[in-house]
Amino acid sequence: MENPPVMLFRDVVKVYPLPAGDVIALDGVSFQVDRGEFISVMGPSGSGKSTLLNLMGCLDTPTTGDIFISGTRIGDMSDTELTSLRRDRIGFIFQYFNLFPLLNIIENVTFPMMLKTGRGVDPERGKEVLRAVQLDDKLFTHTPTELSGGQQQRVAVARALINNPDILLCDEPTGNLDSKTGDGIMDLMSELNRKGTTIIMVTHDAHIAEYSRRTIRIADGRIVS
Amino acid sequence: MIFWEIAKRNVRIHLLRSFLAMLGIVIGVVAISTMGILGNSMVLSVSDSLRTVGDSVIVTPHAGGGGMGFGSGTTSFTISEQEFQQIKRVSAPNVAIPVLRTSERMKLGVGSEEIVALVYGLDPDDVPLMLNLVEGDYSRGNSGCLVGATFAKDNNVRVGSRISLGKDGEKGTLRVTGIIEERGMAFDVSTDSAVVATRDWFDGTYNRDDYDQVVVKVKNLDEIADVKTAIEKQLNRRETIVDVMDTRKTMETIFEAFGQITTFVSAIGGISMIVAGVSILNIMMMSVTERIKEIGIMRSIGAQRREVMSMFLYEAAILGILGAIIGGVMSFVGGYAISSLMLQTTKYFFVPSSLIQIVYGMAFGIVVCLICGIYPAWRAANLNPIDALRHE
Repeated sequence: MENPPVMLFRDVVKVYPLPAGDVIALDGVSFQVDRGEFISVMGPSGSGKSTLLNLMGCLDTPTTGDIFISGTRIGDMSDTELTSLRRDRIGFIFQYFNLFPLLNIIENVTFPMMLKTGRGVDPERGKEVLRAVQLDDKLFTHTPTELSGGQQQRVAVARALINNPDILLCDEPTGNLDSKTGDGIMDLMSELNRKGTTIIMVTHDAHIAEYSRRTIRIADGRIVS
Repeated sequence: MIFWEIAKRNVRIHLLRSFLAMLGIVIGVVAISTMGILGNSMVLSVSDSLRTVGDSVIVTPHAGGGGMGFGSGTTSFTISEQEFQQIKRVSAPNVAIPVLRTSERMKLGVGSEEIVALVYGLDPDDVPLMLNLVEGDYSRGNSGCLVGATFAKDNNVRVGSRISLGKDGEKGTLRVTGIIEERGMAFDVSTDSAVVATRDWFDGTYNRDDYDQVVVKVKNLDEIADVKTAIEKQLNRRETIVDVMDTRKTMETIFEAFGQITTFVSAIGGISMIVAGVSILNIMMMSVTERIKEIGIMRSIGAQRREVMSMFLYEAAILGILGAIIGGVMSFVGGYAISSLMLQTTKYFFVPSSLIQIVYGMAFGIVVCLICGIYPAWRAANLNPIDALRHE
């Protein structure tokens, strides 16, 4: 494959074995995400959305079927390999921001970079991504709790971008923000996408999903449209 | 390294909790170190006072009734001349020294208080083999005597002083010709607080023809056990009539016993360290539990298991190292205080074998902390990232 899709799901099945009987969370899911796309994944709770998110984020591996991230099959990777893949290829954005309270903003942002290089804070690179998410320079040495929700989510976006990932994976990125701040974050997402970042966003908010250019709908473990 | 930084900050924001856990380690280090120092100082101080080199075989009359005491009609609590000759023969060419001993009341000068002290009777030829003088000369004549250093000091006795022995001086008067060097605790003769007269004077005064003890000075130390065995074989063939003590063996036994005591008290210190370790384990588990979500975030954005593990091990190491340093300083101060209060001297404290006890204590503290940090750190590292992320 010359220019592989950033993400490829082929007949992915995920079964959770439980004492009361196996639960089929995903039942033969196939789709492809090309570079530069902005996709939203929608579905009611219990539809397999979270399972799909975990698989897309390489936090889990499928029971059967194949998942490729930029051409690399994740099916039989070790924990160490999967962790490195998450660190280098995927940028996570969570609903509850999930910054580290013990670290200041610049340390939070460069955390994945420090994991990758094994070195200390690179303030130049940190400031660069913080400017890309339109955050005020004065906030860089503050701790996360001193920031508003919108600001914290911008820091989280900056952290997700620091290692130049192939995919930005967002889990309800505006779910914990008021609509005005949420729109601000979504404008930022659109802006990042225009500059070439591939974004996959899991949400149940139809208004937010409108920012994306393609929507995958999922129900009962299958893609419905 | 960022994980070291996080560990440091985590210790700092939970300062009280960290301090209390550290306190356990401090106490453990102090307990082990001071016990070790005390034990070591005791061994050193005892070996100093047991100045006698282990070069003697001491033969004393068998005193133990041996349970069934009946029928042992020959038991007299002295060694007869005949028995002495046997000892002398089997221990040759080593010198066998007969010792006579009694306690006697005496007065030092007119009008002074009557005191009671040990009086030895030794052959003038044998005296220089066992005793060194600090003042005066060995007495040859039967009216002369030697006195121990402590005796001389306590009773203000000098060379030339006269000692009148027995009730109202009925046992005669001896003139002090020399003062014996301090010998400390000795197995053969304890002369520090005693008077040493000649054997002839003793025989004449107390009408004796037997001995209380025989000391064999062994020239070649390798033969000491053989001499002991030879004497036992010769004299105790039919029944036990003498007890034979090999001073070298006895000293070894004493040091062995001290070593065991030191080990035992240090082990008690070790128990306090284990208790401290449990409290470290406890707070580390707490630290992991309250940070499950954070661990989940770290893992999902790319922190490896070993990195998460290292973060918690750093935390345990910080507690251990700080606790050990504080404990080490306190042990130094405490060891010094114990030495000067209990042993009245610090000369046994400022020696490598005592000071190394502090190093042992500190090392043990750090090791205990790390061991107790391993399980919580392992737990943290092996959390499922998905479950940890969902944890509230």
